[in-house]
Amino acid sequence: MRFEWFIASRYLRSRRKQSFISIISIISIGGVALGVATVILVSAILDGVEQGLKDRFLANEAHVVLRLHDTSFFGDYQKRISQIETIDEVVAVSPVVLSQSAVFQERSNAIQDVIYIKGIDPVQEDRVTDFSKFVDGSTELQNSRYIESARLIRDETITGGIVLGGRLAARLGVIKGDVLRLIVNLAKHPVNESMLIPDLANFVVVGFYESELAVYDNNFGFIDLAAAQKMYNKKNRVNTIFVRLTDAELAPRIARQIEDKVQFSVLEGMPDARTWMEMQAPLFSALRLEKIATVIIEALIILVASFNIASTLIMTVMEKTKDVGTLRTLGASRGNVMRLFMIQGSVIGMLGTLLGTVLGLVLCWLLSYNADRPSYWYAVVLVVPIFLQVLIALRRLIPRRKGWMFAMSLLWLVAIGFALYCAVTPISLADLGLSQVYQMNQLPIQVNWFFVVFINILSFLICWIATLYPAWQAANLKPVEALQHE
Amino acid sequence: MNSNVETLIRIVNLHKSYYDGESELPVLQGINLEIYMSELLGIVGASGVGKSTLLHILGTLDRPTTGNVLYDEQDVFTLSDTELARFRNKEIGFVFQFHHLLPEFTALENVALGALITSSNNKSVYKEAEALLDYVGLSERLSHYPSQLSGGERQRVAIARALINQPKIVLADEPTGNLDRRSSEAVLELLWDLNAKSGQTFVIVTHNQELAQKVDRVIQLVDGKVF
Repeated sequence: MRFEWFIASRYLRSRRKQSFISIISIISIGGVALGVATVILVSAILDGVEQGLKDRFLANEAHVVLRLHDTSFFGDYQKRISQIETIDEVVAVSPVVLSQSAVFQERSNAIQDVIYIKGIDPVQEDRVTDFSKFVDGSTELQNSRYIESARLIRDETITGGIVLGGRLAARLGVIKGDVLRLIVNLAKHPVNESMLIPDLANFVVVGFYESELAVYDNNFGFIDLAAAQKMYNKKNRVNTIFVRLTDAELAPRIARQIEDKVQFSVLEGMPDARTWMEMQAPLFSALRLEKIATVIIEALIILVASFNIASTLIMTVMEKTKDVGTLRTLGASRGNVMRLFMIQGSVIGMLGTLLGTVLGLVLCWLLSYNADRPSYWYAVVLVVPIFLQVLIALRRLIPRRKGWMFAMSLLWLVAIGFALYCAVTPISLADLGLSQVYQMNQLPIQVNWFFVVFINILSFLICWIATLYPAWQAANLKPVEALQHE
Repeated sequence: MNSNVETLIRIVNLHKSYYDGESELPVLQGINLEIYMSELLGIVGASGVGKSTLLHILGTLDRPTTGNVLYDEQDVFTLSDTELARFRNKEIGFVFQFHHLLPEFTALENVALGALITSSNNKSVYKEAEALLDYVGLSERLSHYPSQLSGGERQRVAIARALINQPKIVLADEPTGNLDRRSSEAVLELLWDLNAKSGQTFVIVTHNQELAQKVDRVIQLVDGKVF
């Protein structure tokens, strides 16, 4: 193999000694590198979005939600909670009353919105979700100062406090201390039975829920569990139990265990333990579809880059036909010739892949590194090496010695690195107006190392395959014809 | 010519035809020839008569249509492609009209190439190559690229390259065909000197009458046969 390496490495280099490597090699290496870098970056963004959404959902959602099939209320929930707690993987359990309600402000005389009402015990809920972390204001749903003062100045009954989703509050135009009316039930009018009168409950807004997850911030209100039970007249009963596990991925298995462990009577109905995956199935299957499409596109990107290698090699073989003839007269076998071109192509593939990996990872790092950077205008430092390179080309001012070439390469590297550092910053989804769509403020980046290794192997393999035909073509040149080739 | 001659190559009833679709173009039509150890054989003949084809078949670069080429009584064309390449590497040196040096490699590297194919000891190969370049009078030109050498110098590098594996036979196809008079003379002197010193066999295809008179034996090809 030594002989083949010797020839191949020389062919990779430039004939004119301006740089270490010939322009054509640089273009093919660049093609592979850009392809690999794109693949790594795009996957990191997709994985980041998925992971970001997952993290956010899991901060807001229970891993498993237990309820009855008809979502009706059930009693004895403390007993059932302790039954669930016997499962090893269960970290925390929280009883919840989940319902929907129409809301309007006291000033308004029309229903403003229909929202989800989650009746929780803040302490227990905090063990299952990151509830209080997201609340701007008070999590005291029974005795905050807003409730006290509201009770003092109003003669109406105040049932308790409510934490409203931040965006919902903005939509309704309420501030802390405002009173919100919830329609709990429609009761028949005592005299005219065809008329329904709403059963109302008043809640004081004590805080805003800012989870950055639009579903919650837009649609949810949180009230105290006891208040909810009282409001619906379901004392000591709940309709949902939220469960957190040691690992969210265990949800499907533990959900089945919970259904087996928790006993409901025939009258109560069938338990239904749903996992967070089931609850968010449409979203995550959409993400998966997106990922499959992206992987196909990524494979095509690398394939295109490998075509570049094949055409470079075919050109090299054409250019070196005479050399091949000479080498055959010197006693190089077909195998020698085949290997030498395969080595040349493989080196391009390998350098391109490695360079692309480095570039991709650097871009990933820059896109996720939050620090003050010099303005992207500083990317103009790139004119320095461009200027010098032009000078070298035009005026031949700098002697073409290895030391100078090395210094020049180093200068390029530093200038490009600095330009990238200035120009590539985390992308703010809020600035793009996309934070509601993607429910995140910053484009998330998550590098999956397993995938990086996989893409490296795949890319190298594709590049290697791309060398086969040109190398075979070179090996099968007839020595005499090759020698006479002009 | 020596009196007790030993046969190095025996060519038996060699035919070579080229095919262009259906039509057959016979080039060599029954060549019988013996080439002796250490001789300087000249092959002359009109243009297109098949001199180069014969040389290529002798050099195992091309296969005959029918007939045999026996080196030391072994039919080389029964060898596999890889074995043939190895045989060519060890036993045969080539010098062409056009030097055919690889442009990306220095004079020294060009000379060493033939030995690098199989050798694992690069150091001794380069030492050998250096000695050969010294012998052909180019010890000052080791690290020059072919484009930096004159025509005569390139041909001398090509001769040094042909000798790197100490082949039994050197095949030269119009070695001076592309050189001016002075360079030609220098190259020829070199070949004569080599033949005298190393005892290698030289087969030289040429148009040059002057050259043809200086060799040990001349054969003439006419109509694809030895005349």
